[in-house]
Amino acid sequence: MRKADEQGFREFAAANAASLRRTAYLFCGDWHTAEDLMQSSLMKMYMAWKRIKDLDNLIAYARKVLLRTWLDEKRRPWRRAEQRDGELPDTADATVDPDNTSAKLWARELVHTALLQVPPRQRAVLVLRYFEDLSVAEVAVAMGCTEGTVKSQTARGLATLRTIVEKLDNSSGRVAS
Amino acid sequence: MSEQEIREGMLLAVWDEPPLDFDPDALIRRVEQKKSRRRALVGVGVATAVIAVASFALPGLLPRDRDSQLGSETPPSSSAPPSESAEKKAQRIGERLAETLGVRMTNFKEVYSDFRTVSTTSSPNSPSGQRNAADDPDLHGYVHLTDGIGPTALRVTGGKLPYELDLCSGAVYCHSSTRSDGSVVTEAEYAEGAQEITRSVSVRKFKSGYVAQIQSFNYNPASGSGLRQTVPVRVGVLTELVTDSSINWE
Repeated sequence: MRKADEQGFREFAAANAASLRRTAYLFCGDWHTAEDLMQSSLMKMYMAWKRIKDLDNLIAYARKVLLRTWLDEKRRPWRRAEQRDGELPDTADATVDPDNTSAKLWARELVHTALLQVPPRQRAVLVLRYFEDLSVAEVAVAMGCTEGTVKSQTARGLATLRTIVEKLDNSSGRVAS
Repeated sequence: MSEQEIREGMLLAVWDEPPLDFDPDALIRRVEQKKSRRRALVGVGVATAVIAVASFALPGLLPRDRDSQLGSETPPSSSAPPSESAEKKAQRIGERLAETLGVRMTNFKEVYSDFRTVSTTSSPNSPSGQRNAADDPDLHGYVHLTDGIGPTALRVTGGKLPYELDLCSGAVYCHSSTRSDGSVVTEAEYAEGAQEITRSVSVRKFKSGYVAQIQSFNYNPASGSGLRQTVPVRVGVLTELVTDSSINWE
């Protein structure tokens, strides 16, 4: 690869690595896996850089690669067979605002418990629509499906998420709004 | 739960994001290593495929004579089709002889042949230690037959002999004739002290020096047993076999 192209990739990767890792985290719910997904996606992009470097919306292409990489990873048996030993014990951080902490813990719960129970493609639609703030058309391009499918997957995903959150709230005493 | 809440919840979910330790140069190095490993793997795969294909294809391209060395130059036979191997030729001659004998001698219950080529062993009738012309494999086989007495066989040999056959000495009958193609047919019968014929032989010597020989014994030459009063096939039939125009001996 030419030095100029390599420099172009280097800049793109440095600028978007964090954002891609956040999206990957919302897909998979684990920061380590998210980092792996981000790196795998960037490696794939580097191998195809000569061909894709002139695309209008490179970050949209990167999100598409990330989504495909995650869905591929999920299909692998060794990934499915991952076993966790148990929950890490929660310890209170006395330096933070208790109200703010409560909201953050609930948000973490939202991701770890509720979002991860939503089927993968519906979850991907929710993340791209509400975290990445993409339009229906952009999500359709990223997922390689029609806009109608995006809309239906969004509706189903929201319904599933609301049901799960409602159950969580009922079990923890928090009233869903 | 509103869409806005979901949006805020997702933003809050990444609040405890661990610091990112990302080095694009390390990533590029990893990709380059991966590429070179893949290239090496493809190279090994292609080399393995080439070796596999060559090992399967090479024996088919080289001469298949059983006793000839791979890659040695074997001059094609002047009379046989070039594509026919010596083994196939022997098999063809044997089958044809068995067929002709079966038609000629209808009293035989079973007639079949067992032929092969021998390029380094001495001819069955040659003096010990003498070898045939090395570049032309000998034909050697038996036409097995079963008559009213039991199973026996005719011995058939073919090849260029490095010596002259003296068939007439000791024979009770010996006769030579020249055929239209220039080959000389000599037929002889021997009693060897007995009252009946104990051995019949018909030999055809071609201009090229190739000698085809069919012999009938008062025993089974294939097994060395099965002694009987006289030969199962007399010399007249043997001569018919050795002069069969449908057999290309050379």
